Amino acid sequence: MRWLQDDRGTALVLTLILAPMLLVALAGVLQLGALRVAAARVRAAADLAALVAVNDQDDAELARSGTLRLAADAALVAREYFARELELSAPLLDGTTEDIAAAADVVAYPSAPSYDARTGARYDRPTVRIAADVPVRTPIFGALVLRPVTVLHVIAVSSPR
Amino acid sequence: MTRALRGDQGLATLETTFAITMLVPLLFAVLEFGSALERWLAQDAATVQAARYAGELGGDAPELRAFLAEQLRVAGIDSDRVSVEVAPSRVGWREPVRVSLSSAFPVSIPFLFSTSVPLRSSAISRGEVNR
Repeated sequence: MRWLQDDRGTALVLTLILAPMLLVALAGVLQLGALRVAAARVRAAADLAALVAVNDQDDAELARSGTLRLAADAALVAREYFARELELSAPLLDGTTEDIAAAADVVAYPSAPSYDARTGARYDRPTVRIAADVPVRTPIFGALVLRPVTVLHVIAVSSPR
Repeated sequence: MTRALRGDQGLATLETTFAITMLVPLLFAVLEFGSALERWLAQDAATVQAARYAGELGGDAPELRAFLAEQLRVAGIDSDRVSVEVAPSRVGWREPVRVSLSSAFPVSIPFLFSTSVPLRSSAISRGEVNR
């Protein structure tokens, strides 16, 4: 048992134990950072798609009565632009952008007031709401025995002023 | 030679050397990555705002460039080092317009390497000008 009291080689043992732990911590930090970027991009994609769709006003109704009313294809426009925006971050996503956008819950409330059954919100103006679950690749989490795919839940709501 | 191997003189120096050569690059890697991430997020945010404005203007315009330069300046990014592309440069009513920003972020990790990481951001909006 003399070897227990001998401190030769402790630096090597410490290095061998600490190095993998520190590398795992670094990898986790990198993956968390990448996930944060992905989350910001997905949120921006939904926000921009909802904004674009809300700008799509019913021009005939506006000219006739002066009231804002969403165009009939507002929900389609929102879904189309959500897919377009996601396409710009396609390498980060687990799945095709078309599938993700198609599965999104996109609702256009063409006139106000209206009630959102999903969120319970009341809208006093014409509104487009996008709610989506976006799967993002997190391979380093997968290698660390966590989930290789993280689903981001995003909700974007937009109304004209 | 045998006595030199058994002696523990200099052990602390050896341990410190090991620790520093391992911990310093790790620490700098975390710091540099954090900075790059912050820069990337700021650039992304500026790109989204610029795409929105490009839709309002109906494409590329000096006002858009000035707006973008201001957004980047506020985020602490030198706009002279960011390349901007607006495609197409002129759009009509309800036509898509894409704004792309690209810049290089210098990364330097002591004892390991120095390089520059390309940061790219893009956003799409829709033309709101009825020409």
